[in-house]
Amino acid sequence: MSVTFRVPLYFFLLSLSALKGQTRYLEENEITPEGLFSLLNSELKRELSEDFIYRRPLRCLDMLATDGQFTFAADRPQLNCAAFFIGEPNEMISIAYDNVNIDCDGGDFIKVFDGWVMKGEKFPSSQDHPLPLYERYIDFCETGSVRRVVRSSQNVAMIFFRIHNAESGFSITVKKLLNPFPCNIISQTPEGSFTMVIPQQHKNCSFSIIYPVEIQIAELSLGHFNDFPVKRVVPGCAGAGDFVELLGGNGVDTSKMFPVADLCYSFSGPAQMKIGCENTVVRMVSSGKFVNRVTFQYRLLDRSELQKIKGNNVEDFCFTE
Amino acid sequence: MKLNFLVSTVVMLVALLPRYECRAIESQGAVQQDPGPQSDLQQQSLPFLVRLGEEYFIRLGNANSPLSTPNMSPDAPSATISRALQLHLTQRLLQGKVGNISRLVSSYASQLDDSTERGKRSEEPPISLDLTFHLLREVLEMARAEQLAQQAHSNRKMMEIFGK
Repeated sequence: MSVTFRVPLYFFLLSLSALKGQTRYLEENEITPEGLFSLLNSELKRELSEDFIYRRPLRCLDMLATDGQFTFAADRPQLNCAAFFIGEPNEMISIAYDNVNIDCDGGDFIKVFDGWVMKGEKFPSSQDHPLPLYERYIDFCETGSVRRVVRSSQNVAMIFFRIHNAESGFSITVKKLLNPFPCNIISQTPEGSFTMVIPQQHKNCSFSIIYPVEIQIAELSLGHFNDFPVKRVVPGCAGAGDFVELLGGNGVDTSKMFPVADLCYSFSGPAQMKIGCENTVVRMVSSGKFVNRVTFQYRLLDRSELQKIKGNNVEDFCFTE
Repeated sequence: MKLNFLVSTVVMLVALLPRYECRAIESQGAVQQDPGPQSDLQQQSLPFLVRLGEEYFIRLGNANSPLSTPNMSPDAPSATISRALQLHLTQRLLQGKVGNISRLVSSYASQLDDSTERGKRSEEPPISLDLTFHLLREVLEMARAEQLAQQAHSNRKMMEIFGK
């Protein structure tokens, strides 16, 4: 084979093998206002753009699940305020400063935190978050002029703010961005279902449900790579690089919660567990060698079920007052 | 040999034992100290009891001085002092013995500055919100209701527009 013939042949073979590779693409099948918006003519668009943005005042303690523009106007000094943001599991939060009128030198501040912080505990924990702690706090007074849009790494974020003067205030626009491989999620509802996929990445992902729930795992697929299932030589989960654990606890930090169950074998067919803790977490640890996937459902435990669990359970790690 | 060891241990203990907890917090003098220039409270590690009737308070802390968890071993002496001061402040606030919080806050600030190690990054988040799960769920449910209402409103608007 001549040299001039080999190069195009190799290129052809390379293209063929690339096309055979598994890919995943962003797919959004929902009808959104923005999608329909693009079909309208420009006049109608201008008329509607004002209507479509949701606006309301921001409170000193607030939780926001919608997109929109939120304005905080201090009628008196407000020294300790915080607002939580939460989106759907496959969304990330984007916060843009529209209009900020605060006195940074006078002690005012606005800080965005990438995650949620409660009682000194943070979600996602330091082990599960890509950024170090000091990079997760973004202070407007330090970086605001340069960095006017802050984006979270998961479906939750928080903002802390302090305003000393009554005439000061600020305005932010919250938008949600699509996250194709959500990792670290807090569920908005006590009931639902989810499939978590970690595609050959070395990371740990948690799905947190801040309610006592019964979890039913429908399918767990660990260690499949090009359809070759991995056989474990050593029984038990010790030393497994890829596994799923169910955690229960009374805080949001997954590293401080108690493991209730460990699963390191693939299976399908429901396996259920009732966890009577304030916070229930399904956490997947992935070595990066395989594509791991877990599908589960959860539902709220009612009062009688909770009483029954408390009665039957010797360990009381969740039932302390 | 044993005597030498004993003497050196005693000397070390005396040298390293924190003295600040013996400072007169009870005395009137400490409370009525001039707070000095309005320092940036962000830089100090202090608790604030916001509303006693509510179930939450916000704790502000410096990244350099861990306050809440007792298991920060590298900072053990300063963490113990900070914790002791924090607990004492909370107790006094609850007993209603303290009139003007801001002056007390400033006087504690100067004490904490002396005892805090600087230049150390700790794992403790600088700012935190103390909220019970019960309150968090309530606020979350309100936000969900708001989102559903907004979704319904938006759908209605779209139907109106595309119906024209």
